[in-house]
Amino acid sequence: MQDKELGDYIVTVEKIGKTFPNGVCALRDFSTRIRRSEVVVIIGPSGSGKSTFLRCLNGLEEIDSGSILIDGTPLDENKKNRLEIRKEVGMVFQSFNLFPHKTVLENITLAPGLVRKKGKDEARKMAMDLLMKVNIPEKADSYPSQLSGGQQQRVAIARALAMHPKVMMFDEATSALDPEMIGEVLDVMKNLAREGMTMIVVTHEMGFAREVSDRVIFMEDGCIVEEGTAAHFFSNPQKERTKLFLSQIL
Amino acid sequence: MSTAMSQSYPNIWLKLKRSPVMDITKFLMVVAVLIWVMARGTQQLGYNWQWYQVPKYIFQFQDGEFAFGPLLFGLAVTFRITAWGLLLSMTIGLVTALLRLSNSFLARIVARGYLELIRNTPLLVQIFFLYFVLAPIFGFSRFFAGVLALSLFEGAYVSEIFRAGIVSIHKGQWEASHSLGLSIFDTYRCIILPQAIRRILPPLTSQAISLIKDSALVSTIAIYDLTMEGRVVIAETFLTFEIWFTVAFMYLIITITLSIVVNTLENRFRIQT
Repeated sequence: MQDKELGDYIVTVEKIGKTFPNGVCALRDFSTRIRRSEVVVIIGPSGSGKSTFLRCLNGLEEIDSGSILIDGTPLDENKKNRLEIRKEVGMVFQSFNLFPHKTVLENITLAPGLVRKKGKDEARKMAMDLLMKVNIPEKADSYPSQLSGGQQQRVAIARALAMHPKVMMFDEATSALDPEMIGEVLDVMKNLAREGMTMIVVTHEMGFAREVSDRVIFMEDGCIVEEGTAAHFFSNPQKERTKLFLSQIL
Repeated sequence: MSTAMSQSYPNIWLKLKRSPVMDITKFLMVVAVLIWVMARGTQQLGYNWQWYQVPKYIFQFQDGEFAFGPLLFGLAVTFRITAWGLLLSMTIGLVTALLRLSNSFLARIVARGYLELIRNTPLLVQIFFLYFVLAPIFGFSRFFAGVLALSLFEGAYVSEIFRAGIVSIHKGQWEASHSLGLSIFDTYRCIILPQAIRRILPPLTSQAISLIKDSALVSTIAIYDLTMEGRVVIAETFLTFEIWFTVAFMYLIITITLSIVVNTLENRFRIQT
């Protein structure tokens, strides 16, 4: 997307490293900076560290070295900082992770009520607005098991949005969906991008990348191999590894 | 079991074979055989069955008013012990499970220590230890000693059941909760425990039934529960067989009632699918 106003740097990642206990090195000296309202798509083979990077940003994984700064708040041992970051960074998972014992509405209003201390009516109204936004207001009182995969993922997106995060992360959000349902979820994500949400998206959906991303990062072995605008990436990749990867998935 | 094959049998015969009527009939036949074996055995012993003597030890009508007999008094005491025991053991169990799963090394050691100590010593020994050693030192009553021993013992097993339930919840639930900013307390309270408890109701019920039956052991420290009253009545009347059958039957009523209540709860709180 060309004609968008990108803001200041909201996510600053300096030389982060992460090695898992089993010896696998997922991130090596990884650095990047993301601006407000920027849509960054991360692609790469499995095991390249894409998901690990996302999970480090909100504290699901601990980094071994380096620093992470999110909207001025560092991700360190300070519990208040960590909580602040968890509130401001929303995440959508490949396996949805909806709460099966709660209705769709309850799934969405739970966190705002408990964490942002919103009143019941206010939360309910906000939840219904979000459900309208993701096009399934009629499913408010259904349970997740009664919904299709695409609907569940859209509820998951609404649930993450309910916390009004500054950054939204998508960890292969459409990889577990049947092809017919990928479109409806991608539409929601595209709308979100157009509205100016800062998004970090790990995906294999190149169409999405081409349409709404501001930057594409290609990762392999825990490092950035190449990055650039979508136009540059798909028409004129520089590195051999990038060309090889793209030839396999396009 | 193809539909083609079943259609070659007359429908009525199949329906009968699979119906509850068949199962009940088989069960009653087995019970009848057992009763016959018992009757033959006791005949050879020369035992004089006096069932008509039993009811007066359960209840009586004095001056037109209903009065508890010793067995019903004992039942009431068993109820009290079991009620407290269930409450305490579930609490101890949940707390211990949470301690075992906590990030604090000290918490994990304490919980593990308690678990290993209690699981590896007999309940009867624990009851005696609490009553003869700790009760004089700390000055608590025999009833308290009995309830405490029972709760500590069953609590250890309950804690493992809780832990199994908690650990069986998909990691994604924790991750989603974390990503939404929920505290660990809220995560347990709203997300993990409601799901875990639904899963572990069957083994928890078994443990509760164990507690009800194990409560009979407090009769060894002269708490006048159902078992103790049974022993007293037998000592006076020598109605050994009849009274023990009656006492066993009364325990059965308690445990079956509990099972039915829990089954109803299970159905009511089932997660929609």
